[in-house]
Amino acid sequence: MPPRIVVVGGGAAGIGAAGSAKQADPQAAVTVYTEYEDAAYSPCGIPYVHGHEIPDFQRLFLQEKSAYREAGIDIHYETRVTALDLDGRAVQVEGEGLVPFDRLVVATGFDYADPGVPGTDLGGLYYVKNIRRAMEWDKVLDTTKVAVVVDASPLGLEMVTALAHRSIETHLVDPHPWPLAEFADPDIIQPVEESWAELGVRMHLNTKVEAFVGDGAVRAVRTSKGELPADLAVICTHKQPNNTLARQARIKLGSTGGIVVDERMATSVPGVFAAGDCVELPHGVSNVPVQGLSGSHAYAQGKVAGANAAGRPRTYQPVYVPWGMVAGKWVIGGASFGETNATALGIPFVMGVAQGISRARYYPGVTKVRVKLLADPGDLRLIGAQMVGQEGIKERADFLAMAIRTGVTLEDLAWMENVYSPPIGALNEPIALAAQNGLASAGR
Amino acid sequence: MVSFSQWLRSNSERYLLERAQAEMARRYLDRPGPVTERGLGPLFWRRVFVPVYRRLPWGLRRAVIQAIPGSHRQRWQGRRPIRRSPVVK
Repeated sequence: MPPRIVVVGGGAAGIGAAGSAKQADPQAAVTVYTEYEDAAYSPCGIPYVHGHEIPDFQRLFLQEKSAYREAGIDIHYETRVTALDLDGRAVQVEGEGLVPFDRLVVATGFDYADPGVPGTDLGGLYYVKNIRRAMEWDKVLDTTKVAVVVDASPLGLEMVTALAHRSIETHLVDPHPWPLAEFADPDIIQPVEESWAELGVRMHLNTKVEAFVGDGAVRAVRTSKGELPADLAVICTHKQPNNTLARQARIKLGSTGGIVVDERMATSVPGVFAAGDCVELPHGVSNVPVQGLSGSHAYAQGKVAGANAAGRPRTYQPVYVPWGMVAGKWVIGGASFGETNATALGIPFVMGVAQGISRARYYPGVTKVRVKLLADPGDLRLIGAQMVGQEGIKERADFLAMAIRTGVTLEDLAWMENVYSPPIGALNEPIALAAQNGLASAGR
Repeated sequence: MVSFSQWLRSNSERYLLERAQAEMARRYLDRPGPVTERGLGPLFWRRVFVPVYRRLPWGLRRAVIQAIPGSHRQRWQGRRPIRRSPVVK
């Protein structure tokens, strides 16, 4: 009898798992449950539709619903799984009763952290997640004059830029001294602040939200430095693992609240796998478990979980977290640690910083690229990197994450070969310049 | 309800980061540190935990991190081998 594989969650991890399970065992009966009206769209693209960089929401969908049916994946939309009965090898489904499984993949994603202040029950508070709600909110934005973005998280940065592009008076409120302070360094983010100021964004840093004020709908956000009028507030708080089902089923959770998994994405319960924002993974340098990574991480984890659920062994690896995003007119990015996180964790490091250029100095469109590298002071192996520029940041972040994973040193990078072609690359690669400066600061 | 390891992780991360952000804000931006909460709990984390943690050698900190339950204690191939740095005692 073919195995019955149930996937709870229809986001990147859930759909990755379903597709991979079906690929590994075409005979498997794969069923996906999602609370939402759609599956497999890119929520990460929503801010760019709001900012009018992408003309419509339709482009964010990966597949038509019929494509999943044709692939033999049975997706139950708007269907809530209310409990996992792991002893009985079944899930409790609203409207369907107990549904048996042979293998289970938990891909329940994340919830935004509760802002923890009065007024969160008011209308006009926008949590960017579901594409159908985003379509409705997009119409609201047509008439919005003033918006407050709460917390300068990655999503917060994207929404600030999107709203500013939409010519909405945009206020950013964040308790930290600079935006994205939980993982980006202040010197990396400073050009972004300047760019936002040019766009008319008003930043309220070192400022705490104390309440949402209104009568039915929000009309102001009260902060530690005064009240800001608001037609709407976009809540961009920390992504927390949605672990309610796992917790109730006594699946082991880790210190982040994410589900504990091994390299096969297997949980503490045999035959039960998990992937995406609901799990935690070891960081490759520090070994500290981390949670709430990108959609590309979730999709790859889902594929590993799905293959293993279908009986084809696959392994995932500790993460080195390449990241990047557009903020204002800049692109920021990095891999592994920045200076702030390494300082917080107390990891010893030497640092090399350089400002290079993206193309030949004489070629039209050339822009500055600032690169900061962190390395182990002993063996000079790279442990982290951050960058700001306008071209090639994403590619450098991917490259540097792989360099960290494979143990590349500052010496390797200082004299690295690089593409030199005036329209696409400069004589001196900025990474190499930063590594040379790192060697100098390490006295080598 | 959060477990002890979640409580420890969220508080230690929060206050270690708060201290690092305050130092970085001063060094790079000439700005004050993040908004902080008052009370006995925060005082303990700021005045006792953070200074003690910072005095521990990295090798000991790493051992403490390793001892906390989580995915990092499961089987993971492809880990970057740990090479001891001469600065780590």
